[in-house]
Amino acid sequence: MSEMTFNLRVWRQANSESSGRLVDYTAERISEHMSFLEMLDIVNDKIILEGDDPIAYDFDCREGICGSCGIVINGVPHGPNPGTTSCQLFMRHFKADETITIEPWRAKSFPLIKDLVVDRSSFDRIIATGGYISCNTGAAPEANNTPIPKDIADEAFDAAACIGCGACVAACKNASAVLFVGAKLQHLALMPQGQAERDRRALRMVDQMEAEGFGACSNEGECEAVCPKEISTKHIARLNRDYMRAAVKQALRP
Amino acid sequence: MNALTRILNSPVGRKVTMAVSGLLLLGFLVAHLTGNMLILVSKETFNHYGHTLISNPMIYLAEAGLLGLFVMHFTTGLYLTRKNRAARPQAYERNERAGYASRKTLASTTMIFSGLVVLVFVPLHIWGFKFGAYYESAEPGVRDLHRLVIETFQQPAWVIWYVAVMTIVGFHLWHGFGSGFESLGLSYRKGLRRFGQFLAVVIAGGFLLIPVLIYMIGDKL
Repeated sequence: MSEMTFNLRVWRQANSESSGRLVDYTAERISEHMSFLEMLDIVNDKIILEGDDPIAYDFDCREGICGSCGIVINGVPHGPNPGTTSCQLFMRHFKADETITIEPWRAKSFPLIKDLVVDRSSFDRIIATGGYISCNTGAAPEANNTPIPKDIADEAFDAAACIGCGACVAACKNASAVLFVGAKLQHLALMPQGQAERDRRALRMVDQMEAEGFGACSNEGECEAVCPKEISTKHIARLNRDYMRAAVKQALRP
Repeated sequence: MNALTRILNSPVGRKVTMAVSGLLLLGFLVAHLTGNMLILVSKETFNHYGHTLISNPMIYLAEAGLLGLFVMHFTTGLYLTRKNRAARPQAYERNERAGYASRKTLASTTMIFSGLVVLVFVPLHIWGFKFGAYYESAEPGVRDLHRLVIETFQQPAWVIWYVAVMTIVGFHLWHGFGSGFESLGLSYRKGLRRFGQFLAVVIAGGFLLIPVLIYMIGDKL
């Protein structure tokens, strides 16, 4: 097993009020099999032994499905690998002695809490305005009673894979959240159960996205490229269509 | 009215405004380029074309429509840019392109700058030709626009300026066409983006070919 050394430049910021800066650290004796977060743990162990404040970063499951972790590694959210969360990125993807720049998600709607930790509750507030089905549906029906074509079911499932990590916002030059909102709309809008509240959901969630201060979409597709679940920007096109349809219908309502 | 303002003032509505005005302006460019190409046919054809256009009273309506689209496009664009910048108050220390599924290009990141160049260019262009020197052609009442065009593009400075601006317009269209259709929710397909890029090259190439040709073989046109 080969051991590697890395030169880290890590964003340190005590809280949202103070100003932050990049601080240099050396990550020594790193195995190529370690995940990016395990590498940070090793660095933190050393910082704690020296009596300093360890680098704060978010994580929970460490298996790529919870959406807690998220750091900008060398200028790309979740690092250089496609379809990967920061916790599932391994050190073998870096060259020994490489300098690695580590920064938090940067967006007005994701205020910084400490170091690499940002507050993503703006996403929760968007979901709270309509990212669910609230009509009573009774007990669980027999699954085959509602026929859904396989391709539609697959597309809905692809949208439902969104873990809400916020990498789309972090990658977008406009800090736009339309890929997130598009995925959260379409995994319901593609299903028969999602039809009853489809228009209301689109209007409310997009309006809340605007109220939270996210930017607009420039159709560059950086979001899709960094998304750990590789959610397609087709859901953004569908969001636009759904929103306009709902808004026009609302305007024409007598 | 309230509902309409709400639609236009939503994040989706603003992008739809950009897309509709942008795509219609692109349609105008196609018509403009087709008209320009008549200069390669003959002096009389070109002058007659211009005369037919401006002697139709509907021209004022068309001009007002174009001005409206143009104003709509650049005011919404400027407003969106300001808002988008405000959404990320602190820049990254290191920012790289993600690659893979990303369509980020030099064109897509510089839309506001290429747009601002066009905003400066259009008034100068109208001032230079529409309100430029008036020459009477052999036929009474018909303006000899052909002579003005040839005279203008025999000056290297004008040729360089037009070639530069048309290249920048090409960059703007390279991203704008496909992006517009995505904003309208009509298509996110690769084929349509490729067609937009092809169109950008044809339109920019066509427009800049005319000054270059006139500069090289203007005396024969």
